[in-house]
Amino acid sequence: MIKLENVTKVYKGDHVALRDATLGIDKGEFVFLVGASGSGKSTFIRLLNCEEVPEHGTIHVAGKDIGMLGRWKVPYLRRNIGYIFQDFKLLPNKTVAENVAFALEVIGKPRHVIKKQVPAILELVGLSEKMSNLPSELSGGEQQRVSIARAFVNRPLILLADEPTGNLDPQTSIGIMRLLDRINRTGTTVVMATHDRGIVDTMRRRVIELDRGVIVRDQARGVYE
Amino acid sequence: MAISPVYALRETGQNLWRNFMLSMATVITIGVSLWLFGGFFLFNYAVDNATQRWEGGIEFVVWMNPEATSEQNANILDAIMTSPEIQDYTFVDQDAAYEEFKDIFSDTPELVEVVTPEVMPPSYRVVPVDPDADVVAELASQFEGRPGVKTVVSANDTIRDIQDLADEVGTVFLAGSLVLLAAATLLILTNIVSAIRNRGREIEIMKVVGATNWFIRIPFMLEGIMQAMLGAVLAWGGLYVIDQRVIGRFSQPDSLELMAGFQVESDELIFTGGLVLGIALAVSVIGSSIAVTRYLDA
Ligand SMILES: Nc1ncnc2c1ncn2[C@@H]1O[C@H](COP(=O)(O)OP(=O)(O)O)[C@@H](O)[C@H]1O
Ligand SMILES: [Mg+2]
Repeated sequence: MIKLENVTKVYKGDHVALRDATLGIDKGEFVFLVGASGSGKSTFIRLLNCEEVPEHGTIHVAGKDIGMLGRWKVPYLRRNIGYIFQDFKLLPNKTVAENVAFALEVIGKPRHVIKKQVPAILELVGLSEKMSNLPSELSGGEQQRVSIARAFVNRPLILLADEPTGNLDPQTSIGIMRLLDRINRTGTTVVMATHDRGIVDTMRRRVIELDRGVIVRDQARGVYE
Repeated sequence: MAISPVYALRETGQNLWRNFMLSMATVITIGVSLWLFGGFFLFNYAVDNATQRWEGGIEFVVWMNPEATSEQNANILDAIMTSPEIQDYTFVDQDAAYEEFKDIFSDTPELVEVVTPEVMPPSYRVVPVDPDADVVAELASQFEGRPGVKTVVSANDTIRDIQDLADEVGTVFLAGSLVLLAAATLLILTNIVSAIRNRGREIEIMKVVGATNWFIRIPFMLEGIMQAMLGAVLAWGGLYVIDQRVIGRFSQPDSLELMAGFQVESDELIFTGGLVLGIALAVSVIGSSIAVTRYLDA
């Protein structure tokens, strides 16, 4: 599903954010990216999403060499990738349902599809009651659920999450992880950057550790360490 | 992938409303600039139409009576041909005069209807050797009052003054309109950039969920194009006023008068309107393209 070969990302000023990374992630895997702040976790995720372009190496996502993808094809690749932000990034003047519908609207989904899929996904994340509320009327955990619903409503093959629990208390984080786990069990590949030790140690999933841009550990059923 | 028109219109409408004041300023600037630009064209058309008889060095016209005998005609022709002060001449017969009349007054069919070729005066359009006004006046007066001659009209200083004035006024109009047009382009650009800034998060989400570049761009571009279209409509109103109230006032239904035909033909008016619309479209497409490529695709 995801394959990196000798991928190096250098930012302006010769700053190497990812060095010679080679790894594969299969369909349906759940992967934690761990490492200190600045170790390159976000860079790794942004590379998969075509937000950044590597200086060296090739990246395959969903069977496509994304380095060879024309610029106009990138949006179509992204329709297969859900993206969850640490700070939710909900649109403040749209309701919960409208926020989720927005993701379908802007990729040209017909109205009847939107009408069917939005309530279904809100049901899945447990927010059916709040679909007419504004984000400001929700708790942090609920806002993150909306953001997950928006990322997953188009049933992507891959879900990328950059510290999705970074702004949440431990109790709320557990709820979010249960939700991501459920989504993963539907066959969706999940790549999640985190430095939440408790979560990683509890879930016991594959752990990839980065240290100053270098992959220093890749462990099945790993712990945070 | 098709863009839902409902989506595009809703987004465009919201953007326009958000920047209402700035949008108004943009629409007015575009309107005034295109109005000046179109005015330049109308004025030029009117001057051309009024002075077309006076081009190619023609300085005076000897109008014959329609009933003049062929002997009277021959006398005048002989005088013109033998005069050392006359370089060239053109004879416009009754049919040609009728065509010219129809051309000048094509917008006033009721006038054309009552006229037939038989009542049109034939004329000699004369090019003197020396175009000096005094020489021309002296030369023209030699034909005044001769048998068969109805009247002699010379271009004199008035026509030349009008042509010069038209050139100067036109240049000012044109320069002013181009400066305003540049300002309008910048306003369109600024509007769109501010709209893009206001909607940074929406744009970020659209990109991340896989909206195409065009899908993201089009509402913004439509905003600029719509402002320009409204400006063009404003300019049309202004041009109509110029045509009816300013130019129309000078037009006189007498083909022998000096200012005859100082008016704009309907096809010229339509062309000017189309030109104004085309420029509005071009300016807004350019302005909004720069804005979206520069601030959206980065
Ligand atoms: N857009 C950027 N331009 C320049 N340097 C960057 C940029 N993004 C990240 N970096 C640098 O690259 C390194 C890795 O950053 P990041 O991938 O955000 O790490 P993490 O998510 O693990 O905290 C950091 O040192 C950071 O300062
Ligand atoms: Mg990060």
